[in-house]
Order: sequence, then structure tokens, then C-alpha cells
Amino acid sequence: MAAIDIPEVQKFIEATPPFLNLTLPQQKQLLTGVSMIYVRQGQRVMLQGESATVHLIRRGACEIRSPKGALVDQIADGECFGVSSAMVQNPDGLHVVALEDSLVYRFDKVRFMEMVEQNEAFGLFFEHTRHNRLRKLSRSQGEELTSPTSQLSTPISHIMTRQLILASPNDTVQAIAQRMTEARVSSILVVENERLLGIVTDRDLRSRVLALGVPSSLAVSDIMTRSPVSLLPDSLVMQAQTLMSESNIHHLPIVDEEQRAVGMLTAADLLRHQELSPLLLINQIHRQQSVESLAHVCKQWPTLIINLIVTDMKPADVGKVLATVSDNLTRRLIELALEKFGPAPMGFQFLVFGSQARQDQSLGSDQDNGLMLEREPTADESAYFSDFSQFVCEGLGLCGIRLCPGDIMASNPAWRMTEAGWKKAFSKWIKSGEPSALLHASIFFDIRCVYGEEEAIKGLIKGMQIEVSKNSVFLATLTRSALASKPPLGFFRHFLLESSGAHKHQLDLKHQGLALINDLARLYGLSCGTYRVGTLERLEQAIREKLMSVDTGRNLMDAWDELNALRLAAQRQHWQATGKASAYLDPKDLSSLERKHLKTTFSIISDAQDVAQQRFLKGYS
Amino acid sequence: MLIGVMQKFKAWHMSRQAMKRAWSDWDYLVLDIETSGLDPKQDNIVSLGWVCIHHGVIDLDSARHMLLEGAEISDNVGIHMITDADVELHGKKQQSVLRYLRHLLRKRVLVIHHAPMELGFLKSSWQQQGLASFSFNWLDTLAIERAKAHRAQQPIQEGGFRLGPCRARYALPDYQGHDALTDALATAELLLAQAAYQGKDCRLHDLNQLGGGRTRLVS
Repeated sequence: MAAIDIPEVQKFIEATPPFLNLTLPQQKQLLTGVSMIYVRQGQRVMLQGESATVHLIRRGACEIRSPKGALVDQIADGECFGVSSAMVQNPDGLHVVALEDSLVYRFDKVRFMEMVEQNEAFGLFFEHTRHNRLRKLSRSQGEELTSPTSQLSTPISHIMTRQLILASPNDTVQAIAQRMTEARVSSILVVENERLLGIVTDRDLRSRVLALGVPSSLAVSDIMTRSPVSLLPDSLVMQAQTLMSESNIHHLPIVDEEQRAVGMLTAADLLRHQELSPLLLINQIHRQQSVESLAHVCKQWPTLIINLIVTDMKPADVGKVLATVSDNLTRRLIELALEKFGPAPMGFQFLVFGSQARQDQSLGSDQDNGLMLEREPTADESAYFSDFSQFVCEGLGLCGIRLCPGDIMASNPAWRMTEAGWKKAFSKWIKSGEPSALLHASIFFDIRCVYGEEEAIKGLIKGMQIEVSKNSVFLATLTRSALASKPPLGFFRHFLLESSGAHKHQLDLKHQGLALINDLARLYGLSCGTYRVGTLERLEQAIREKLMSVDTGRNLMDAWDELNALRLAAQRQHWQATGKASAYLDPKDLSSLERKHLKTTFSIISDAQDVAQQRFLKGYS
Repeated sequence: MLIGVMQKFKAWHMSRQAMKRAWSDWDYLVLDIETSGLDPKQDNIVSLGWVCIHHGVIDLDSARHMLLEGAEISDNVGIHMITDADVELHGKKQQSVLRYLRHLLRKRVLVIHHAPMELGFLKSSWQQQGLASFSFNWLDTLAIERAKAHRAQQPIQEGGFRLGPCRARYALPDYQGHDALTDALATAELLLAQAAYQGKDCRLHDLNQLGGGRTRLVS
């Protein structure tokens, strides 16, 4: 009797390519020596010795991964792995991990290779499989950080914390509480002769010490959890996750075979590993000790943005989240700069302008920033702030916030001024009415303080507002400039007429749409009694102060949301396809309904521009 | 007499020691028997199917499906899909099949899904055929499943310990046929899954505690 005579084996083989193309005698020959294995979810399949052969999944699912953990392929029922191991001794070190409990046929290597030699079509099938996986492998090796999804088969050692905070059993509760506070960790491992004895977490300190009124001079050994649940460092993330949720714990000590503590894995580490959340990215940002490591962490940023867009977060909220991340990144860089160059010789504020100030950043936004100094610096102090700013701006650049092409950055000495200096600059722009002054106005009038005492810039803003309100000529000039660009209403007619012609029309959603609304909002915002910096907030404020009708205001806010959603979606697509940010939209990608919608959106902007003209340009035009 | 007791004790002790080794260090023979009815005293064996496990993997070359000669099966054709013609053509002498089985079981642990029934038929066949007495260890995948459910305090519904539902809990495929060989293979896969769920260092001892025993067949 042979394996192929077992009815269930025969049925499966006869339905599975390429085996179904073999004759019965060939099937019989190939299946001689075949065995069946069962692999539990999360287990790695051994591919050494007699197991270094082709496997066929009868039921289940597996992942093929590179030695670095990059995903090469995911396979399921009726698909094979171990092809590279059987045919060429697995030179790329691929390994296979069961994603689900899997029942697998393991072919006898000699019989398998016999069939590859004998049957050309059969051999080709597996050559193909192997080459496909090699291609995927080389593609996946391009990315340093693999996609955040399903990294369940990564070993814990890749993500655990190795800098351990340790206590010995005789330490007092108070001493370890201090150590935990200093190190900013929520748990501490108790070890004796390097062996793990127990663990104490924040929760334990609360429930076993504070809640019971136990004296803090007690020894740690009296309150710790003894022989806590632990794992070996080569266990998989998936196993850690299961264990932690089953045992309802958030801290998992990692020990080696001799029970020596080698790492710590927290629930936060797991989350951070799997899903990028803005909070976790911020958390990571604050833990980095160098620009290089910050830049590394920030490589996840585009993925984060894409994730936010994909999860259908409101565009305004996407902007706010990104602003929060970049604010925190900026602050962390400032902290690092202060560590590097020593404390600042005087108080200062780090100001951001433009999109970061308005909180509507997206992929590929560049930086606009400056410094406000407490007083005129001496030559030495000037040099200090020059180094300092250089460090921060370049750091931002390395972290993915592009350097400003117009050099509006703190690293440019022109944008490091005292409060009086800034006031003078604003005043000059408002009075001059030159085109360059207007350009500056559109950037600098959107202003926010991300580091330092916020009060100081309130005075600056107040002064600017008073000056603007007194100067109706400036407001008129600003209005004219805001109305100079018109939304591309003709675009649609054009598109409909010439869709097959030589003109390939693309829509710049930022400059032909969003920027127009931003300009209008700024115009109204500067006339408001209360200063707001975000576009939606400015429009809301303008409605509240009755500078704008509820209808116009609401319509503009909707239009802004609409365009931003389109822009983010277009950016996501473009980014995922090319790895570059672009806010261009190809109308071909829009349905006729979406085109109609977009046309309405542009009419709203156009109408609002007419209203603004009436309001600010009466008697000037 | 004393020497006999000593030898028995020695055998017992060795088997106890060996139990502590990893489960995969042992060889297994997974058996399913089709019978003409439920009562070992009145009914008889129609066919046997088995497959062996070596180094923790199922060796499909070891699969055997044996029809016994002279089996009365006319009433049960619907269940076994075996006809009188099959028996006439392929039927083997019960005694030689059972001797072969005994030979294989010398170095293997017998595995059955729901052991009492199969063991009952083996015992009565042994007596009828006057085969040489011998002892062997066995595991019962149904008993293992029941003990696991009991330990986990998970009530399992009526019929939930039949082979199909047990397999479904380990994501094993749904097998259509229910001949002795298919059920033997299905049981073997179930044992692999149960052992895998016991963790890396699963010993025969652990499985034996969940649902195993030692039986002596006498003529």
C-alpha cells in the first residue's frame, strides 16, 4: 500500500497543482516516503536535515520570511514551501512560521528531486515558485522597516528593551520606586545573582503598598510577584502577545535558558511594534537620544500618515495629529540641542509658521520656523543660537520635514530676532505693501510657538492685528493678492473637451484649491478681534464675529474638508505607488459624481472670493 | 515465580522511566477497527486500518488497510462501503493480520479514538484466535480530549468528542470517508495536534495521564 492509496491523500493531490498533472504512477512515486506534520500557530517549521525539503500545506497558513524578518510570502492550503531548501540549500536563509495551526505534507527530498528531473513541467513549476519568492525577497530587503502589518513572527529579541532596570531582593520599596521614577519605567525586575526572582510593577506599588498602607521601608521581596511569567528571547511576538493577554499582564520579563534576565517586553512595546499610532510615535520620539535615532524612528512617519488617511480620519484631525507629532519632534530636537550646546544664554521662543502653525501639514510639507530672543545677543550668543538653530533645522530635515526652499528657518540669522525685531518686521510688511511683503505675510501671519513662553508671542500677534486693522490699504492689498488666484473652474470644461487631446491636465489641489481658502481665512482672521491660526478655526471665528455669513463660512469649511480629503487620498496613492509626495490629482481618477462635487467646491471658493471682494475692496478696486 | 515477578517489575519500571521521554521519542501505531456491530461478544471485526507515527510525524508509507476474510458485513454495507465481493477478493486471514499487528505493537504505543470499544474487540479476537499473550501501552485521543476539556472546565456538547468535532477544534480538515484507514489517519493527525498543544516538551507521560493505559491481551 502506498500513501497515494489513502483516499483523503489522493483526493487532495488530485486537486492540487502541479501534482494533479502527474500520472498516477508518478504521484505514487513522488509520495513514497511522504510524512505529515502538525505545526502550531507561531511555531517555526524546521527546514534542516531530512526536513530540508518541499512541504505542501494540507490545511493552514504560513509565512515565509527573510532572515531579517521581512515578509516574503504568505501561503495557505495547497501551496508549497521549502522549495529553496530542497533545490538549492536555502542560500537566502528563508524561514517559515505557521500563521495558523497547520497540517502539512512533507515530501521525501530524494523522491521530490527525482520528479523535478523527470518531469520538466513539474520542475518548472517549482523553479517559478522559487524565483517569484526571490523577487519578493529582494523587494522586501529594500525597506529597512518592514510594513507594520503582521509582523507576528518577529522574534521578541528584536523589539524588547535591553536596558533593564533592576533591583535586588533586599532593596526597599522606596528605593525601587525612586529608581523606576528616574528611569521613567513602569516595572522593575528583581534579580539575585543575575537570576530573575520577581517583578514589581506600578500597579503592584499601588495595590500592594499604597492601598494597604504598608511602610515603604519594606524589602522588595515582600511585595514582588515571585517567579513571574517569562519567555525566551527567540520566542515570537505572537507568542508574547498571546501569553500576555492570557495572563492579563502588561510586563513580560525575557530570560535566557539560565533564567538570567535579558530583556523586558511591555504591552506598549508590542503595540508600538505592530501598529503605528501617533501617540506611540511621539513616545518613541521622546526616548531617542540622538538625531540619527530620531531620524530612524521618523522613517515610520509616512506610514503613519498613510495609516491615518486609510483609517478615514477627518482631514482636519489628520493635520492636527501631524502637527502634534512635528511639535514633539521639534521639542525633542531642541532638548537635544540644549544638551549638546549647553543651556541657552537667554530665554527664547521657537516659532513655527505656515502649515505647521495652521496644523494642516501633510506628506512632504516643508519647515518654516524662526527664533524669538529675549534680548539682542552678543557675538558669542549669536554664535550659540546659530549652532543651535542649525542643529534643530537640519535635524528636522533628517527626520523628513524638508528644509524650507525659501530659507525661512531659524538657521537663517534673518529669522532670529528679539520681540522688538519681529514687531518691526511685521510692521514693515504691513506698511510697505510690496509683493515680497505680501508673500511674507502669508507665511509669517500664521504663527505658533512650540517651545518657550507662549505669552511673548501673544503681544507680537496683538500688535500685528492692531496694525492691520488700522491699515485698510494693507488689507485691500492682501485681499487683492488673495483673490488673484482663481479656482480652476474652466478646468472641468477643458477636461471634458480635451480628455483625449495632447493636453494632459492635472489638478494641483494645494495651490489651486486649499491655498485659496487658507488665504481667505487669513484675510478674515486678521480682521477678527481674536487671533486664530488654523483655517477652520479662523472661518469659525469670522462667523462668530459676524464678519462672514454662516452660509459662506460653512460652505468654505466644507470645501476645505473636501479638498483636503482629496489631497490626502491623492497623496496616499501617489506615495504608495512612487514613494514620493504629490498633491496633484488626475481627473481621470475621479468619477463623474466626484467631478461634479469638485466643481461645486470650486464654485464655493469663487463665490466666497466675490464676497471678500465686496467686503475688503469696496472703494479700492 | 520470583524471577517472573522481578521481570514484570523490571518491565514496568522501564516503561515508567521511558514515559518521561519526549512523546516524539516513541513510535505509535494509530488504529481504527470497523466491526459488524457494537458487541465484541457477538459481532466481529470487518476491517482494520492503521498508520504509524515515527519521530513525531505520520509516516504515510506505513498506512495499511486490511479486510478480514469471512467477515459478515451484508447488513452494514452502507456504513463501511465494503461488499462481500471485496472481502472475497482482498480478505485476509484474521489470525495473520492480528499477528502482524502484535508484531508492530511490540515497539509501539497503540493509539485509538475511543479505546474501550476497540480494546474489547481486540481482547475477544485474541481469545477466539488463541494468540500469544502480550501487553502494550495505549493512548485514547477521545479520553485525552475529554480530560483536556475537563481541566479547562470547558463543557463540550453532546457528540463533541466524536472524531470530526475533535479535529475541528484543532483546525484539522474535514474528512469525508469513514473507512478504517481514513479514521486511523484522522486519529493520527488529531494526536499530533493534541501533542503540539501540550507544548514543546510534551512527554508520553503527559498524554498518558490525560488518557492512556496499559492492557494485556490473553488467549
